[in-house]
This record gives sequence, C-alpha cells and structure tokens, in this order.
Amino acid sequence: MTKGAKWACAAFLLAALVCLGGVLFYPHPAQIPSGDSLEPPSVSHWLGTDDLGIDIFAQICAGFFSSMGIGLAAGGLAFLLGGALGIAAGCGGKAADTALSFVMEVLLTAPQLPVMILVGAFLGQSMWNIVWVVALFSWAPVAKIIRAKTVSLQQSGYLRLAKSCGAGPWALFCSHMARELMPLLCVNSLAVIGKAVLQEASLAYLGLSDPLAKSWGMMIQKCVSFRGIYFTEYWKWWLLPPVGMLLLTVLYVRLFARELEKIWVRGENRYV
Amino acid sequence: MRQKGICLLLAAIFLLLSACAPAQQEGQKTQPENGRVAALRLAGGTDWGAPNPYLHAARGPGNAKKDLIFASLLEMDEQGPVGWMAKSWQQDGNVYTFTLREDAKFHDGEPLTAEDVAFTVEYYRKFPPVSNPLGAGDSFLIERCEAVGEHTVRMTVRQADADTLMALGGFEILPEHIWRDVDDPMSYSEADAFIGSGAYQFSAYNGADGSYEFIAFDDFCAGEPAAEKIQFVPVGDELLAFQNGEIDIASMPGDLYGQYSNDPEIGMIAKENDMGYKLLINFEKYPEFLDIQLRQALYAALDRQAVVDKVFRGLGTVGSAGYAPAGSIYYNPACVQYPYDPQAAKAAFAGMGLEVTLLAANSGDDVKIAELLKLDLEAAGIGVEVQAYDSAVRDGMVNAGEYGFALVGNGGWGGRAPAYLRTVFSDIAKNQGGGPHNMGPIGYSSPAITELAEAQQQETDFQKRVELFKQLQRQISEEIPLVVVATQTSYSIYRKAHYDGWMKTCDYQQAEQNRLSYMNRGEAS
Repeated sequence: MTKGAKWACAAFLLAALVCLGGVLFYPHPAQIPSGDSLEPPSVSHWLGTDDLGIDIFAQICAGFFSSMGIGLAAGGLAFLLGGALGIAAGCGGKAADTALSFVMEVLLTAPQLPVMILVGAFLGQSMWNIVWVVALFSWAPVAKIIRAKTVSLQQSGYLRLAKSCGAGPWALFCSHMARELMPLLCVNSLAVIGKAVLQEASLAYLGLSDPLAKSWGMMIQKCVSFRGIYFTEYWKWWLLPPVGMLLLTVLYVRLFARELEKIWVRGENRYV
Repeated sequence: MRQKGICLLLAAIFLLLSACAPAQQEGQKTQPENGRVAALRLAGGTDWGAPNPYLHAARGPGNAKKDLIFASLLEMDEQGPVGWMAKSWQQDGNVYTFTLREDAKFHDGEPLTAEDVAFTVEYYRKFPPVSNPLGAGDSFLIERCEAVGEHTVRMTVRQADADTLMALGGFEILPEHIWRDVDDPMSYSEADAFIGSGAYQFSAYNGADGSYEFIAFDDFCAGEPAAEKIQFVPVGDELLAFQNGEIDIASMPGDLYGQYSNDPEIGMIAKENDMGYKLLINFEKYPEFLDIQLRQALYAALDRQAVVDKVFRGLGTVGSAGYAPAGSIYYNPACVQYPYDPQAAKAAFAGMGLEVTLLAANSGDDVKIAELLKLDLEAAGIGVEVQAYDSAVRDGMVNAGEYGFALVGNGGWGGRAPAYLRTVFSDIAKNQGGGPHNMGPIGYSSPAITELAEAQQQETDFQKRVELFKQLQRQISEEIPLVVVATQTSYSIYRKAHYDGWMKTCDYQQAEQNRLSYMNRGEAS
C-alpha cells in the first residue's frame, strides 16, 4: 500500500471511530433535544446545539453512518449491477450487448440531477428512495468500464487458449477474468460511494430526503434556511461541522479509491 | 505570460463583482416630481400564481398580487371601510346601494360602470373566483344585482349580517367587455385577463422564478399610487438582499430584533400573533379522538412553549385553545388552559398503541414544528410518521381530507374580527373554499359551536358581537375540536428614508399584502 493510501485509510478510519464512539458513548441523542436552542460549543455539547436544541456532534456522528450507509448501499448496488450487467454485455452476445449498451448510454447522457430530483419527488421523501435513485444512476459508468474490459479480455490469447482447451464460462470467469475485472470493479464502485454521499446531500438539501432525517445534507439544509443565519454566530457551529465532514469524507474515499487504482489497476506500484 | 493571465482573471472577477453590485444604494431616495418612489422591491421567489381572480394561489401573497391589479368597491383602512371603486354606499335592510366613481377606468381605458359590477356578480355566481367573499351555489350571498344608472348599482342579499357590507364591497370587479366572451376562466390567461381597474397595471409575471412586476396606473381614480413600479424579485437570502439594497422590505429574523429595533434608519412593522399554527385531526380516520379526554391528553402532550421559544425565537405566544389570539379585542382570556403535562398525557395514551400520520409542509417553520410535535407525541406513546409536502400540495390534501393529523400555518389570525372562527368551526361553514381559514376539523360536529358561530355572523351590534365571539371561544376551548399550537409575532423591516407608507388595516396586519401600503396617502401614512 502506498503512503497516500495509508494516510487516507487511517484518516477515514479515525473519522469512523470518532463517529462510532459518538454514537455509542456520547451522552446526547441525535434525535431528541438535549439542550437549549442554539447553545454554543461547550464541555457538555461539544459542537453546540441546533435551533431545536438537538446536539450537533450527535447529529454529525449519526449523519456519518447514514451518509456512509447510503454511500455503501449505492456503491454495493453499483458493484452488483454494474459488474453483472457489464459482464453480461461483454460476454452475452450481440443482442444483449446492444440492449445493455443502449441503456448505459441513456443513463450516462441523461442529465443526472434533474432526473434524480424528478424521480425523488415522484417516489416521495425517504432515505431508501435516495439510495435507489442514486444507485440507478451509478451503475452505468461502472458497467461501461467493465463491459469494455470484458470485451478486450475476450480477445486475449490466453482466454482463447483456455476456451479451446474446453474451459466452461464459469471456469473462464473464475480462473481468468475475475482477477482482471475485480480490481476495476472495486475501484469504480468505491468512487460511487463518494459521489453518492454528495448526491444524497444535494437531494436532501433540495428537500427530497426524509425531512426529519439526521443526515449531513439535511443539517446543511436546515442551517442555511434558518433566517438571518449569516448575521448571527450560529453558522460557526451549526454549518461548518456538516460541511467539513462532508468534504473530508468524500476526499478520503476519493483518495483511497485513487490509491487503490494505482496499486491494482495501473500496476504502477505492483513491485513497491 | 502567467502573470498576464492572472491579471486578466482579476480584471474579469472585478468586472463580475461590479456587475453584481446593487443597482441602488442603501437609503438613496428616488423621488420623481409626482411624489412616487421609482420602485418598491419585495422578495419574490415563490410562484403565487398569475395575478388574476381565477389564477392566483389561494393564499395571502397570491391574493395580494391580484389585488394590486383588480379593484373592489370598498377597501379597509386603519379605521374601517372606505370607498374604493365606490365613492359612497348605503344600506336599507337587505338592499345595498353603491355609487361608483365617475372617473373609474380599466387599464385599457374603458370606463368602469355599474354594468361591469352587475356583470361581475353574475359571472362569479357562475364561476366562483379563488378568493370568494360571495359564496357559491345555494349559499351565494346576492339574490339580485342590478345597475340602476351608469354609476349606481343595487344589490339585494338574502340576509344582511355583520360581514355583508365587506363581502359585497370586497370582490374584484371584472371588465365586462373582456370577460363576457370567456367561458373557461380557469384556463384563460391571455394578456387581457390581467386588465383590471386597480392602482397598478400588470407588467410581468414569471412563475418559474416567482417574479412579478406591476407599474403605476396613472388614471387610477381612488388615490395616487406610491411607486412607479412594484417588483417582486427572486432573492437567495431575503435579509442579505435587504442589506444589499436589492429589496426595500424584508421579514426580520427574531434573533436580530435587538439589532434592528435600535437602528434609527430602519422602520419596523409588527404583525402581532398574526401567523398561527393549528393541528387538525381527521376524526373520520381517528375516531378515538372523539373522546374529549384524548383530545385533552393531546394538548397535555405538547410542549407548545418550546415551539414559541425554539421555532419562533421567542416572538409569539402559546395558542389560546379558543383559537383567536391574544391581542385581538375579541380575545377571551377566560378560555380553558391546557398546560404541558407529559406525565398525564403518557398515562392517558398508555396501552393504546396509537399510530398516526402527520401531514406538514416541507418548508419554513412547518417541518421544525412537526418535528417537535412528533417528539412530544412519541414521548406520550403515540407513534408518528411525518409526511412533508410542498405547501400547495399540503393544502390540497387537507382540503380533500387526505390526512390523519395535519399541521397548517397561515397568516391573518390577528385580524380584528375573527370571522374565521365561523369558517373553521361552524358545521355549516367549515371546509368550504380552499383557504386555510376554511380548514376545519373533519368528522366532528358541534351544535353548540355552530349555533354561536352563526349567531355572531347575524349580530350587527358591535358589543353583542364581541360577547358572542367570547362565548364561542370559550365553547371551542372546552370542546377542542382541534389543537391550536402557537401564534407567531413577526416583524417586517424597511428603510424609512426610501419609503415608509407601509400600513396595517384594522382587519389585516400583513402590511406587504395591503393595497393601501402601495398608495400615496399623504398625512394618513
């Protein structure tokens, strides 16, 4: 593992541990008011409270898991759908390739946010709908890359040799294709996580998430819609923490994905 | 080369910033010779519908924009009714006679005559407008309306009561020469659908960004417009826009009261307890709550002071269970009080396993209040699922009865005569018309409340009517067909040097929504 990957990984784990600690051991809940309205940070409330008196640090910690949960769910769906459909398009014959490639192209060319807003508004406000909507748009780029790799693998000499020796599709996949495809699939699905976290925040900001959910996007939305927020001091402890956490988390995930890409895909550090 | 690039970039940023700078500087007063300010700019950004009697949204801001273009017979000032298109009026039993101003004109230059008024009455009988003081169907207020001269119109009503004069004087007059050929007013949006006889003419409307523009009508007969233009401009942050001089009046956040109340350049207009929030129960869905003890427990479960402190930032009061808020001269302080008592509420709901849905708007303070109510109800043992929608969708669902519990907030509670007590609570009058003052409890019936609500409407003696209103509130507070959450006091701030004609009528506190706020009234303002 490169130094960069180690740092990104360590920082991410640290953030995860702090948030886990916050959820398990911090005395204040993320859902119920535990102090006065808009208390500044103190020993009792580490990052102060919001207008309803709900602890900000508790919300940040709970938000980490809801944001990452959405990211992981979207990443997982992109992994499964993108992998399966990409391979199916690559190996499944001309008809399947044409049909699946068409769907991928449509999803890749359609403007994402407006369609997501429309679908989100139609399905109603819930966290699960955001996962579905984000996943729906996340698998296509992954599938396109996997399809291209699968097609190029099919042309390779060793695969044709294995085929001529009588290897079945499953054996071909397990012994020869998986080790080439998996790193690519992992790295691209990992990138989806960061994107999904941001998209969830955008949709929540636009009011398409569960309005009472404690996600970072909703925290930002509630804070900036507080009238006169920039003429008060409240934004310092109400707005900065979710924005900072959102940026850092997305950055860590992105850095980690990039380092993995270096190691696995490009093979630049294969011998380091 | 690189330095040159940076210089160019800086120059571009400078140009961009100077383009974004406010066109008009703070405090600058543009006073043309005719005494009008060049423009009055207000925060837009919300689509309140196209400004005509059939297309505007059924809420105060939508109605107010239509009111700028269209005029009615009478208007209300600080003291009471004043002539608007009518210069005088008289009542004789059930017959009302209005004499119109001879110089009244529509924006296209056509004279406004008694025929237009009579035509409008018949047209509204056929096609009720969005904001409808005349009623509809069998309960249409006017039995007969006739033009008895070019400028005199006589209306006969079925039964005159305390509010009849303002209902007859309150509908907007349509130009007959335009509307006589229109068979589907709900879909008619040609340019001439926006020709009225009000103090301002329609200039522009864009629903997508919620912007409106009106320009002064020079031939207006009932006074002098105060501004050449009224613009509702979309702004990101209302207060920032006010500070930057992009708009001339803004609602003030409660947390900044101290800062603005000490600023001699800033004028402040209060709307005392005017914005109210009520929790409606659909008794057809939850008949359990027909049991008065459960409704009392509902009140006990809710920490309504927390709504005032946290959401209204301390500006407001816990709602009176009698509905009309403190500050109104009709307010009855002897209504039954329901203090916050979570233990009693928990005991009352124990073992019932109640699950309710709570419909709320997804904007403004509604979500925050819904969140507090949900937490309180859950603490009392009631499971709550909050469903939040755009406020127009929420209104539609409430009117269609598609809710379990619904949180509804609206302005106008602080009006002097709480006529809305009838339209919210009377079995005869409630849930008719789409406005929030008509949204009452579904599946709950009360002969005692209905009798008092109807009796106050018939009573024309002021003192007796006050007494009836007080009895009605007491009765409502005993029966509690709905939960009054809290009423909010809000303030609008404006720069006195630019324009200080903002006013409240004796019946309506929302200065930005009163026609007379946009009129040059000399000493009166």
